[in-house]
Amino acid sequence: MRIDEDRAERALVIAPVGRLDSVSSSELERRVVERIEGGARQLVVDLAGVEYISSAGLRVLLMAAKKLKDPPAALVLCGLGPAVRGVLELAGFLPLFAIEPARAEALARLGYERPC
Amino acid sequence: MALETRRLSVPGSDEGVREALDALAALLAGHGLSKAVSWPVEVSLDEVLANVVRHGLAGRAGAQVDVEVRLDTAARPPGCELVVSDDGPAFDPLAMAEPDTTLGVEERPIGGLGIALVRRLMDAVEYERRDGRNRLLMRRRLVALEGEDNA
Repeated sequence: MRIDEDRAERALVIAPVGRLDSVSSSELERRVVERIEGGARQLVVDLAGVEYISSAGLRVLLMAAKKLKDPPAALVLCGLGPAVRGVLELAGFLPLFAIEPARAEALARLGYERPC
Repeated sequence: MALETRRLSVPGSDEGVREALDALAALLAGHGLSKAVSWPVEVSLDEVLANVVRHGLAGRAGAQVDVEVRLDTAARPPGCELVVSDDGPAFDPLAMAEPDTTLGVEERPIGGLGIALVRRLMDAVEYERRDGRNRLLMRRRLVALEGEDNA
């Protein structure tokens, strides 16, 4: 798995590429924790490059949501393909997150407009 | 015969899990099966192996997990059967309580979801303890998950 990053003003986009399985998810976990502890308060997780996600990956998303809840901050997920959406749905995760189709909409939701 | 059986024995470690997932992905892709239909099986193998490696074998030196994949590409839709077995302490993952998947972010415990996902993703899951080994059999017809529009 590879993890790409992109910044749009104060928002940080984290885009894992590959499969979010029980082995690779710990890399994403380290990166997300590092960025949140480093002060990221507006986070977009772009899952467009993710082949599939297992419960270990769900755990990282939930951890990020919990960490960004107090004090309130923003987490938006985007780029959910059928495999990722399917697992989030089966796990009852869809209502827990702000979800947008793609990165541009996710950033717009955080108040940033930029050409894409 | 369009029935292919692949057996592999991997170390009970993260490297072993990765090796087994790579082998399954390569086998399914090699038969022209797209991610749209193969991902539920790949996710399920990851969940089961993660459980066995982290809990059942718990870092025991030299521990191995056996994975058998049976692929029936003549069937319409194709069928896939996975058997994961290990010689760790007896543990029936299907005996665990189903987690509540309706709780909010605050109340939701982190973890405990893996086997629930396997039950929901596979058509059949059976556990047995035989000859001092845990044996979990999973079966799924390789079709896109219900509700998905792309096959």
